[in-house]
Amino acid sequence: MSADQMKLGAFLMAGGHHIAAWRHPDAHADAGVDISHFIQLAQTAERAKFDMIFIEDAAAIRERNPEIASQAARSTSFEPLSLLAALAVNTSHIGLVATASTTYNEPYGLARTFAALDQLSGGRAGWNLVTSASDLEAENFVSSGLRPHGQRYERAEEFAEAATAVWDSVDDGAYILDAERDIYADPAKLHPVDHRGTHFIVTGVLDSRRSPQGRPLMVQAGASDVGKDLAARTADVVFSAAQTMGEAQAFYADVKARLAKFGRQADDLKIMPGVSPIVGETESEARAKYDALQELIPDQVGVALLASYLSLKDLSAHPLDGPLPDMPQTDGIQSRQQLIIDLGRRENLSIRQLARHFAGARGHWQLIGTPVQIADALEERFRCKAADGFNVMPPLFPTGLDDFVRLVVPELQRRGLFRTEYEGRTLRENLGVRTPARSSSAERTA
Amino acid sequence: MMHIGLSLTPFGHYPTAWRAKDGQLDALDFSHMAAQVKQAEAGGLDFVLLADSFGQRPHDDLSPLAVPFEPTMLVSALATATRRIGLIATAATHQHEPYNLARRFASLDLIGDGRTGWNVIGSGDPERDREYLAVVSGLWDSWEDDAFVYDKAQGRFFEPDKMHVLNHKGAHFAVRGPLNVNPSPQGRPVISHVLTPGTLDIAARADVVFLPETTPDTWKALAASLVEHLAALGRQRQDVRLLANIVPSISTAADIADQMQEQAKAAGLDGFVLLPPSAPEGVASFVDEVVPELRRRGVFRHAYDATTLRGHLDLPRPARLERAS
Repeated sequence: MSADQMKLGAFLMAGGHHIAAWRHPDAHADAGVDISHFIQLAQTAERAKFDMIFIEDAAAIRERNPEIASQAARSTSFEPLSLLAALAVNTSHIGLVATASTTYNEPYGLARTFAALDQLSGGRAGWNLVTSASDLEAENFVSSGLRPHGQRYERAEEFAEAATAVWDSVDDGAYILDAERDIYADPAKLHPVDHRGTHFIVTGVLDSRRSPQGRPLMVQAGASDVGKDLAARTADVVFSAAQTMGEAQAFYADVKARLAKFGRQADDLKIMPGVSPIVGETESEARAKYDALQELIPDQVGVALLASYLSLKDLSAHPLDGPLPDMPQTDGIQSRQQLIIDLGRRENLSIRQLARHFAGARGHWQLIGTPVQIADALEERFRCKAADGFNVMPPLFPTGLDDFVRLVVPELQRRGLFRTEYEGRTLRENLGVRTPARSSSAERTA
Repeated sequence: MMHIGLSLTPFGHYPTAWRAKDGQLDALDFSHMAAQVKQAEAGGLDFVLLADSFGQRPHDDLSPLAVPFEPTMLVSALATATRRIGLIATAATHQHEPYNLARRFASLDLIGDGRTGWNVIGSGDPERDREYLAVVSGLWDSWEDDAFVYDKAQGRFFEPDKMHVLNHKGAHFAVRGPLNVNPSPQGRPVISHVLTPGTLDIAARADVVFLPETTPDTWKALAASLVEHLAALGRQRQDVRLLANIVPSISTAADIADQMQEQAKAAGLDGFVLLPPSAPEGVASFVDEVVPELRRRGVFRHAYDATTLRGHLDLPRPARLERAS
């Protein structure tokens, strides 16, 4: 592992990250139900030596209005963990990171499910820990109503602690299959969990061998103050959204500075902002590709997407060609809201313009240009301590990923900024983050 | 025609079977599990069943009978390693929110192209389980089969009037829906259940019912109770597949085939779940010796003639729930 090389994730979505990608002539319209499409994308990313695949999640459709929902491809998808289980046995080196919420799951079941992904993949599983913020999700679960922001994070912290204890309940070499002494598993290497907390009671041992990478990788995306603290304490990777170099550097410095108070080193956590690259052999070709996608966005769909990230029911009371109205803080996604408001003010965008801009990558950094221009921009953010790597969000699949792999990855490799071979077999080995020893709390209960 | 499934274990169903694999830790690897399932598929078996210790989580030790992977994750991985055989995973209603469970199995059914089943373990509260099953089935019916039109020119991904919001509000669950997964290629995933006197309610809503290990007389009595419960729901005996366990002993293929045919006739069974004493050897010998004998007698398929688990089981596509919207 080289400290001067960036990490790359491939953030997969059925048709693409651009809201209108599915309408593009290159898009497979039914990509969202085609497992072979996802297997091909994963294998493409693996040939390019990407560190990992990343899958987002929501336990609900994403738009309440059926008329608007029906014009986008976001209402249905494979459930992330089952999708990655299928990809695990069709790949050999690439990491597999699934998003899963602590709000509507329980620790033993989810820990066990990620442990299975880790076994199926030989130590390539990762968990992007999120809390659920949407009303549409809340309405699918008994506990009606959204939990307040602070309480969601309290639950998330306890959830992570209990899940870790489940992973740590089995030592390396616990299964011995010693026929002569009639010992299937060594009881000294099993440490039953006895977690009794505010939100959960968790007991028992994990039903599989210990993870080949110690524990599944922990990823987080929360950018609020409490989210950043949780990340600094427990995450190996932070997936963030930043528009400008200044925003990205400030976030990077902030999160890295928090590590010390939890006894961690700067290298223990990788910060990987999202980036949506639109690559062309020439700048005008790249621009034309972007314009072709932009033309496919129905205004109604773009504005509804923007409103959902602003946690607003709708924006229709406001003129489309006027600025965003002033807004109170909500219990929804606070950090992304601020990013949108800042972007609108900084670039003096109307609601319509902001919506169209936002529809490309949901507030993530967009890069439109030649392979050299894109590599320059990535290199600059990497060298200026704004990122340890990037979560690549092609606007369109499969061609957007193919373009990046064919044109940008070789340019990064030529500059020595990206690997040409995997360093190891597990996700932690390739990312260069530590394989954790068993937690001290598990030690105490042993 | 007989229906036959395989109950998957790493070493076999005899508790001491693992001892024949002294120190061979790779017996717990996915590749070894997949090899057994491919063997079962080569024999044209209807499905493999991934049991889950009856919904009990391991307290302080690990059982050699347990498959060392969470069952739905293993089903997903197996789905891409096989093409035809059905894949049934066990999950307990008290361990999952109904939305999460409906979603996981719907996703598996897309990955396996209509070959998935959910083996239900109940919570012990029949009223809650009835409601749970209604919510899951309702979520699976969120989208009509032709809802997704992918009309690029018109910008219409699905027909909004073919999406159904469940809006369930019951004593135990409140679930809005719709499910955020496309409809199942087989209508809905297959539902199976191990019948006990306390869970007739669940069994009466299932497509496949497994009889516990007991005597043919007890089977008959349980089957009779099941038929009564089916009738109360407007269903008939032929709407479900009734399968009993078979542990092939050390005898000839002809003896085993005789035993299966006699038991099926005596107790009115539709088939069996194979519990090989040792694995993978017991799977291989059943497929290589007993299956050809059953085929010779004309009671088991020579090759798959369907692509979905419902198709293998000769079950019709389920009727959609009636709904107001």
